[in-house]
Amino acid sequence: MGNLLKTEWYKLKKDRSFWLLTGLLIALAVLYPIDKIGTSDLPNENDYYRGFVLSINSDIVRLLPAILAGFFFASEFSLGTMKSIASSGHSRIRIYFAKLTVFSIGSIIILLLLPIVMMGVSAIYIGFQIWPEWTFYFQTIGLIALYAVAFASIMALFSVIFADSGKAIAFLLLFLAFIESMLNILSAKVPFLEPIITHSIFISHGSILAIDKIGNWNGDAVLTFIIVPILTFVVLGILGSFIFRNKEIK
Amino acid sequence: MNDYILKTNHLSKKYHHTTALNKVNLSIKKGSIYGFIGQNGAGKSTLIRLVCGLANPTTGTIELFGENNERELIEFRKRIGTIIEGPALYPNMTAAENLEAHRLLKGIPGKDCIAKTLTLVGLLDTGKKKAKNFSLGMKQRLGLAIALLGDPEFLILDEPVNGLDPMGVVEIRELLKKLNQEYGITILISSHILSELHLLATHYGIIHNGELLEQLSAKELDEKCQQYLHIKVNNPNKAATVIERHFETQDFEVMPDGSIRLFASVDLPGQVSKALADEGLVIEQFMPMGEDLETYFANRIGSGHYG
Repeated sequence: MGNLLKTEWYKLKKDRSFWLLTGLLIALAVLYPIDKIGTSDLPNENDYYRGFVLSINSDIVRLLPAILAGFFFASEFSLGTMKSIASSGHSRIRIYFAKLTVFSIGSIIILLLLPIVMMGVSAIYIGFQIWPEWTFYFQTIGLIALYAVAFASIMALFSVIFADSGKAIAFLLLFLAFIESMLNILSAKVPFLEPIITHSIFISHGSILAIDKIGNWNGDAVLTFIIVPILTFVVLGILGSFIFRNKEIK
Repeated sequence: MNDYILKTNHLSKKYHHTTALNKVNLSIKKGSIYGFIGQNGAGKSTLIRLVCGLANPTTGTIELFGENNERELIEFRKRIGTIIEGPALYPNMTAAENLEAHRLLKGIPGKDCIAKTLTLVGLLDTGKKKAKNFSLGMKQRLGLAIALLGDPEFLILDEPVNGLDPMGVVEIRELLKKLNQEYGITILISSHILSELHLLATHYGIIHNGELLEQLSAKELDEKCQQYLHIKVNNPNKAATVIERHFETQDFEVMPDGSIRLFASVDLPGQVSKALADEGLVIEQFMPMGEDLETYFANRIGSGHYG
C-alpha cells in the first residue's frame, strides 16, 4: 500500500490539472479581496468569512475537484496506464483506495485554498478585525476537509464507472450542479425520503457556512455533519473498490 | 522444480455471445522466447489481458511460476514486465518521470535503475522532453523501459516493435535476445511482423478464432516448413511430365509465372537437374527453398494470405 500511495502522490504532484486549479484559486484568493480594500462598511468576523470566502467555496469551488477527478482518476483508463497499475502485482482494492486517498488529499487542498489563503490575504489587506472566531474557523476548515473526502468518494466512483476523463468531468459537473435541486424536488414529492435527503451530504454541505459553533451542536448536527460524510466515504469507497475489482480494464 | 513460467488450462473467455478464447492450453517454458501469432481479433490480447489480471477468465485457470491461486497470482505479477496493447505512458511526464512513477509503484529502492534502464533502451538523452512529444518509436522504447524496470523474470510484450524504424527494430531485437540469453528472462511476444518474430522466437503458439491451433519449437517449425525445389525452365509443361515420369510423383505445383515448386526429391537436387537437362530443357533458375513463418502461419489458419 505504501508503494501505491507514494506513486499516487508523485503523480498528483505532476498533475497539470491540479496545479492549474491550485494556481487559479491562489490567484483568485490574492486578487479578489483587493476590491474590498478601503470599503468602510465591511461585515466583521464570521460574516466576512461566510459571505465572501465560504460562499464562493460552497457555490463554485466545490465543483472543481470534478476536473481533478477526470484528469487524475479517469484518465488512467483512457491513457492505458491503469493496465500497468492493475498488472503490477497489487490488489485492485488497494490500488483503488490508494488512488482515492491521494485524490481526497488533492480535493482537500483545492477546497481549503480559499478559506486559508483568501482569508489570510484579506486579513493582511483589510485588517484582522474581519478574522472569524477561531473555533468557527477551524470547525469550517475541518468540515470542508471532511466533505471534500466524502465528495471525492462519489467522484472516484463515477470516474471508475466512466473510465474516461471527458465523460467523467462532464457528468460530475452536471451531477454536482443539479443534484441538490433534484433531491429537493424528490423530497417534496416523496415524503418518506425527506429525512435521508436532508441528512445527505448533497444538502447538508450548504449549511457548513451557516451552522452554529461545534460546542452548541446537538446529536442531529453531529450525525449530519460528521457521521454522514464519514459513512458516505466508507460506503462509496467500498462500492467503488468493488466495482473497480470486477472491472475489465481495456 | 517447475519448468514453466506460464501455463493456462482450458482457459476460456466469453463476452455475451462471443467466444474470445476457447479452452486454451498454452505453456511457456522458462528461458524461452515465445512468439504468439494470430490475426487481429484472434485472441492474443485477450489471453495477455487475462494473464496480466486485467480481465477475469470465464472458465479455466492460469498458472504463473507454478502457482494458480488468485492471491499468489497477484503477488507473482510483480515478477512480470508488460507492454499491453501499446505503451502506457503519462504524456505530461518526461521519460525519467514516467520511470520514476513506475519505480515507486514497484517499490524499487534507489533511483539508479532509471538511468540504467533509459540507457538500455537508448532514451537517456531525452532530457525534459515530455512523453507526449515522443515519436511512436520512442514511446515504444519507453514502454519497454517501464516493462524492464525491476528486473522482471518474465516479459509480456504485445506488439513491442510497432512504429519502430528498421534500425530500432534491430536494436530492440538484439536487446530482447540479450535479455533472454544473458539474463535468462522469459519473453512472450506477440507481433504482426512474422519475419521479425522468426529471427527471435524459440517457440511459437498459433492462435486463431480464440483457439490455440498449435504450439511448436523453432526447430519443429523449421522441420515443418515445407522445403521445395524452385525450378524455372523454358518449357514448364514438359518439365512437369519429366518430373512425373522420372520421380513418380505429383507432389509439385506449376506456379502462374511458369516456375515449378517440387516438394518431393528435395534432397536430390543433382538428380532432378540432371533429369531435366537430359530431356533437353534449359534450366533458367534452380534452387532449394522453404516456407517462411508467414506462409506456414497462413497455411495453418487456412488462409491464402496473412494480414
